[in-house]
Amino acid sequence: MFTGLVRTIILYLLIIVGIRLMGKRQVGELEPSELVLSLIIADLASVPMQDFGIPLLTGIIPIITLLSLTMMLSVLTMKSVRFRALLCGRPSIIIREGKLDQKEMARNRLTVDELLEELRTKGYTDLTAVKYAILETNGQISVLPYAAHKPPTVQQLNLSTQDPGLPLVIISDGQLLQRNLALLGYSRAWLNDYLKQKGYSGFSRVFLLMADPSGGIYLIPKESSRPS
Amino acid sequence: MKRFVIAAVILAIMLGGSLYNAWYAQTLTEGLSRRLEHSHQLAQQGCWDQAAHLTREVYQDWQSHHFYLHTVMRHSDTDQILRGFRCVLQYLTLQEMDQYAAANADLIAQIRLLSEMEQATLVNVL
Repeated sequence: MFTGLVRTIILYLLIIVGIRLMGKRQVGELEPSELVLSLIIADLASVPMQDFGIPLLTGIIPIITLLSLTMMLSVLTMKSVRFRALLCGRPSIIIREGKLDQKEMARNRLTVDELLEELRTKGYTDLTAVKYAILETNGQISVLPYAAHKPPTVQQLNLSTQDPGLPLVIISDGQLLQRNLALLGYSRAWLNDYLKQKGYSGFSRVFLLMADPSGGIYLIPKESSRPS
Repeated sequence: MKRFVIAAVILAIMLGGSLYNAWYAQTLTEGLSRRLEHSHQLAQQGCWDQAAHLTREVYQDWQSHHFYLHTVMRHSDTDQILRGFRCVLQYLTLQEMDQYAAANADLIAQIRLLSEMEQATLVNVL
């Protein structure tokens, strides 16, 4: 038990350091500690699951140890900026004022192809349109274009628009979601009237019904159903 | 911070539990080994019945810890010790000194190794 506990702690910390050294590109959308947890935990659980000759505790103790350590690291990263920088790293500015920082790219082992691919996925095919490109600690690249390349906003165009609010699902696959109906301030009687107007006798023939607080309603009937 | 404390307490409990388990395993196996050594001495003096009686007691004691052993130790190790006990008891019945001495020594070593694996030592961790 002791050996398992200490080995788990050592290996967990070792893999976190390894992941950190590998750089941001390997992390994906998780923090290093979370990535390591997801990498090991499934394997730990599968061993006692398959091998009946190993006590269940052999799997349980390392899993609880990992969860506890992750919880502690997670709290520490929230409380301390320094610790967060140590564990998760700091964002790297790859393009600064439109200029590629090759040293920073090399430091993060980011190739030009990878950078261009990331920029394309963000909608930028022209490198000169990008003012800042920042490699975040979760491995994603944030792109800030020059003002001239930013899409205009409704406010900039001086247009008046109506904010419809958050649409909610009222009927999902023939099932009424009473809570959402109440949240939108509609009554069951209103819903019945609306469905009657559209030619539906009940919920069962509706695949999806969404509504928003401004009165917008979106209805999709079930494919096999037609309004009666 | 509450979550941090909870996680730290869980880790501390597990650490305490593992250290207690190391001590318990050591005490249990040491007691069993010493009695098996005494049984060997009795056999050497020709007291085969007493040696067999003592070994059977040790065996029953081992069996009474079946739940603990199967929960904490590798089943292959505990099964091997169980086979060792059967072997030793058979040689005691047959009163074959050479075979018994070898089987008993092997059984004692296996029992001691079992607790050795649980000890909080650097060698085990590495």
